[in-house]
Amino acid sequence: MTVLQLKDVEKTFGSGRKKVEALKKTNFSAERGEFTAIIGPSGSGKSTLLTIIGGLLTPSDGSVNVNGENVTNLKEKERSHIRLREIGFILQASNLVPFLTVADQLRLLDKVKKGNMNKEQLEELYNDLGIADLREKHPSDLSGGERQRVAIAKALYSNPSIILADEPTASLDSDRAYEVMELLKNETKNKQTTTIIVTHDVRLVGYCDKVYRMVDGVLTEEKREINN
Amino acid sequence: MFLALNEIKKNKLRFALVIGVLMLVSYLVFFLSGLATGLQDMNRESIDKWDSTHMVLTEESDKSLFESSMSIDDKEDVDAADVAILGQVNAIARSDDQKANVSIFGIDENEFIMPNVTEGEAFSADNEVIAGDGLKDDGFVLGDEIQLSSSEEVLTIVGFTDHARFSAAPVLYGDVDTFHRAKFGEAADQNEDHINAFVIRSNGESVNVENDSLEVIETETFIKNLPGYTEQNLTLTFMIYFLFVVSAVIVAIFLYVLTVQKISMFGVMKAQGISNGYLSRSVVAQTFILASVGVMIGFILAFITGVFLPSAVPVSFDYITMLFYGIVLIVVAILGAVFSVLTIIRIDPLEAIGG
Repeated sequence: MTVLQLKDVEKTFGSGRKKVEALKKTNFSAERGEFTAIIGPSGSGKSTLLTIIGGLLTPSDGSVNVNGENVTNLKEKERSHIRLREIGFILQASNLVPFLTVADQLRLLDKVKKGNMNKEQLEELYNDLGIADLREKHPSDLSGGERQRVAIAKALYSNPSIILADEPTASLDSDRAYEVMELLKNETKNKQTTTIIVTHDVRLVGYCDKVYRMVDGVLTEEKREINN
Repeated sequence: MFLALNEIKKNKLRFALVIGVLMLVSYLVFFLSGLATGLQDMNRESIDKWDSTHMVLTEESDKSLFESSMSIDDKEDVDAADVAILGQVNAIARSDDQKANVSIFGIDENEFIMPNVTEGEAFSADNEVIAGDGLKDDGFVLGDEIQLSSSEEVLTIVGFTDHARFSAAPVLYGDVDTFHRAKFGEAADQNEDHINAFVIRSNGESVNVENDSLEVIETETFIKNLPGYTEQNLTLTFMIYFLFVVSAVIVAIFLYVLTVQKISMFGVMKAQGISNGYLSRSVVAQTFILASVGVMIGFILAFITGVFLPSAVPVSFDYITMLFYGIVLIVVAILGAVFSVLTIIRIDPLEAIGG
């Protein structure tokens, strides 16, 4: 089932001689339970694509469909609701609230999402991500890997249909990076979410079902042997 | 409230500083309010005690009791439910080493402005007076014989009454003859009809005076025209209102700085779909908590200070006024949070997450 579909999406910044085509005509789709990587050098447009998918940026042209709903021209408030309901974000830097404990990070989402997850589901999430013992700790007491696991838990909270991860392993050493990728892959398969990660680390693409390369605003799918 | 409380719990020192500043501002507001009320009481408490509605003074006195001079017989020209005669003169009272400014009121003991006696007995003979209990602080006691600066007369304190100060001086209540002797000395006999004013308690009916040289004014107007009364109140009220502005600015600056430090965090939250409304409510709730705690501590400190202040300091707490000022302080603090709310609304989540 197609969860996400981009049709002829373009994004330009500025006008006249200062016009920059950050994203040239792009078509992209992702299925439920699919783990996709978008790789490419800095400034190639991959983060622009991710923010358009996440409803943080509106495309200059084309359309974005999430679960069959065209979200391209929704107002900020409606896009905010879509983000809250359908999309989980994992960012390069820790996206945790510094003054909340791990348990309170999820409790906050529980409050704004009006309690979409029951106690058993929450417990399962803690256990799946191995953060059950970290509940009463603040982000400053956690290692980089632990912080990213909590960030993944936040992104997965209330089972969004799409997980968007922007360089989720950038601040981690190799072992922690592989650990996070393994977690994301497992959660994608177990919960049948659609996960898209943006990374410049080609070592990580082995965990993904599909890999796209972005160069100068042009997105192309890489054909390759999947061995994971 | 969830975010607000958790942030305060985690950053106790930072928020203690905000509370500390708000506490000091509210302490100053409450203390100034107490001072304003105390100074007002010093000027008007004897008049308030009469529960009168109007005063009758001479037209040419320009609402000044001291400058007003009329005859007791003029009472026939005053048509009101309850009318009391009043003579007034200022003097310096001396008894042994004690010395104090006093205001001598000449009254008719059978009229409604006759004070209650809290200690001793009422005056019943010439030169006997009931003194305001403020004189006790100056060392005067029952039975003291008082020498007046303005005459050779000697008055005897036979009783004390409470709430008896006028224009910042304790009042000595005596009969009209005593007042005449205190004011005119040997010439008292030539001024035996002289008084300064009539005090009216109208019970809602209109007050009419059939004498063009007399003027009826409301008691509140009379009080506002007491020398220095309005100027003193306006000064203190201005200081209090200025402190409201100061507290709004302090809260605005503190919260703005705290908000700017959290722009990236708010941006990430907005990217995750948490609404401007939720984040703004959180900042307002936080301000409410900080301001309420600061105001509460400020109130307690002001109250404790009031208890330990010497009686010479004219501080009197009017709890209704203090409650009103406390609410105003909290409201202006929340207004100070508006800058932070506007900052949150303007945060672009894309910039905040580095897109």
